[in-house]
Amino acid sequence: MRISDITRLAWDQIKRRKVVTGLCMAGLSIGCAAIIVALSIGDSAQSYADREVNRNFKMDEITVRPNEGIPGQGGGSGAGNSANKFDPGRLTRQKVEIIQKLNHVTAAAPFQEVGYVQMLTVDNKISDAQIIGTDLSLLTKYGNKFKQGGPSDTLGGVILNYGATLGLIDSETRKNLYEKMNGTYDPKVMEQYDSLSRLPSDMYQQQIQLQAPDMASQTGKMLTSSQMRVIGTLALPSGMDENMAMYDKKIYVSLETAEQLSEELKLNANNGADSSSSSKTGVFNSAIVKVDSVDNIVQVEKLVQKLTLQTSTNLFQKEQLAETFSMFKKVALGIGVFILIIASISIIVAMTMSTHQRRRQIGIMKVLGANMGQIRNMFITEAALLGLLGGLLGIGFSYLIVSGINKLVGTGGGFGGGEALVIYIPLSTLPVGIAFAIMTGIISGIYPAISASRTNALTAIKRD
Amino acid sequence: MLRVEKVSHTFKNGSETTSVLHDINFAVKQGEMVALLGSSGSGKSTMLNLMAGLMKPTEGHIFIADHDLVKMSENKLSVFRRKHIGFIFQAYELITSLTVRENVELPLVFQSVAPSIRKQKAMALLENVGIPDKADLFPSQLSGGQQQRVSIARSLITEPSVIFADEPTGNLDSKTEKEIIGILLNLNKKMKTTFIVVTHDQEVAEQMQRIFTLRDGYMITKKQTPAEPESEGGEVHAD
Repeated sequence: MRISDITRLAWDQIKRRKVVTGLCMAGLSIGCAAIIVALSIGDSAQSYADREVNRNFKMDEITVRPNEGIPGQGGGSGAGNSANKFDPGRLTRQKVEIIQKLNHVTAAAPFQEVGYVQMLTVDNKISDAQIIGTDLSLLTKYGNKFKQGGPSDTLGGVILNYGATLGLIDSETRKNLYEKMNGTYDPKVMEQYDSLSRLPSDMYQQQIQLQAPDMASQTGKMLTSSQMRVIGTLALPSGMDENMAMYDKKIYVSLETAEQLSEELKLNANNGADSSSSSKTGVFNSAIVKVDSVDNIVQVEKLVQKLTLQTSTNLFQKEQLAETFSMFKKVALGIGVFILIIASISIIVAMTMSTHQRRRQIGIMKVLGANMGQIRNMFITEAALLGLLGGLLGIGFSYLIVSGINKLVGTGGGFGGGEALVIYIPLSTLPVGIAFAIMTGIISGIYPAISASRTNALTAIKRD
Repeated sequence: MLRVEKVSHTFKNGSETTSVLHDINFAVKQGEMVALLGSSGSGKSTMLNLMAGLMKPTEGHIFIADHDLVKMSENKLSVFRRKHIGFIFQAYELITSLTVRENVELPLVFQSVAPSIRKQKAMALLENVGIPDKADLFPSQLSGGQQQRVSIARSLITEPSVIFADEPTGNLDSKTEKEIIGILLNLNKKMKTTFIVVTHDQEVAEQMQRIFTLRDGYMITKKQTPAEPESEGGEVHAD
């Protein structure tokens, strides 16, 4: 029997038996819609979370640090403190250069963490920030955009990130606010502090000085750097809002300037790290590697580790999310499948009823030469067609449901000023939903089909 | 063409058994048109079902074109019926969701015959039974006589060895009855198809070439009617 004939005969029955068709399609469409919506919510939430993670955690970067677990050769403690001693775990300029040449690496530069300081403007405004010594010309390679100015090798030139231009408060006001906030919670004071912390200042070409306490003196005396000039300011990174930016205050300086500041502010003595002599020795405490794609992070990370360096990425954030969403998807899919199982019961009942109603017709077909297989195939095709129709209707339902959900949750904004969660139906879920619906139709149709094929032709004809 | 050899049949209803056919023997030659005459309960319908392979006799053998129906499995019987047997039912038994032409084509559908060939054959047969203009109508749009013509056309489409007609005029008025019998006689003459017409109507039976009469499960008479060809008659072994 030709497939086209089987399909046509099955389609005739579907058109004719509207109640059975309606019952079966209702069940299947709800199940199919449940699966599509469940998968869509899972996918949408996952990609939303991915975007948020990418935005906040820079997934395409590897932070490289010296491998302090590797003992230095040459004896003695504090292997990292001497440039002359051979320490295979050190992060050296040579290693950074090797990393720069690796496949998929778009940028690799030392990001020498010099220390935390206070930034003091000429008009006596003050703010805290972290000094990072790096190759200023590579800053744009790490997704930074200059709002004003640009990189320069001038000694004493600094580049402020967006957060460092916020919240510069005069020292007297800052002192008063800290005193008011100390030990008591006053919403008005907090509000004032918040608004001041967000206050932007035009720092471009401003003279600044950096201050740090002299830890060696034990007297709390503040050490002040020589005059420095802001040669550039960075724009607010895309996707980040000011609420987050005000907690991320960085002052980028060249490695030579970093060395000068370390000496002036005794930052080496303060933090105990080997941050003072990076430009001379070519040994760094941190570097950041930018990779062309998140997919290549693991591959590059493994290569970097072969240089006996420690690496860290934010991939674990993604993995944790993937795990969470995988579980969520499984649960959602389970709910969809459960609904389909319930739907399949209605199909079995409706189709079995239909089989009994059509016993005479089946009998006639058998008398006319249809064999058991042909009858069975007709019923299974009918069930599959019902599944297809139910699936198509289910797609319609799922778009309605998703549109409804989006309207319900659409008014809420995203976290941290990001975009709001919008549920979308990935096209890949549509065939999955239809496949489930067809499969349910076929599985549910097996019993009625077998029952129909076993109909005794004579009994069927005699019956009525 | 068709041989019924020592066929007996018993129905079981719990512990009770009812014997409906007793040692029936007869043979029908290719192209013959015979009547199986009997009143209600005579066993004629059972005999028809046995000959069509819809039931298996308790005893005996039935041969059509030298194939023993008794030895065939259900599926083999389906295939055999497709090729060798045509049916005309008292209540026409057309599929209401299919058009007249599609109903006629249906036996060929089960044989996977190409649609163009099916259509051609169906239209030719509808022409033969006088309703080519009804091809695209549905059975519910036809009169009883027209539906029976469709049923006749359907029975002929596979060019079967034998056609069993179960009370083909039972649901029709006398005028239409004559028309239908006329069509059957004409087709028999024209296509040389063997017809076995089961009827309780003596008048219908008289128009066939031979009559086998059943009463209470026994074949009591065999009669050659004036319609029988003079040259060759079917072998008759009635006990």
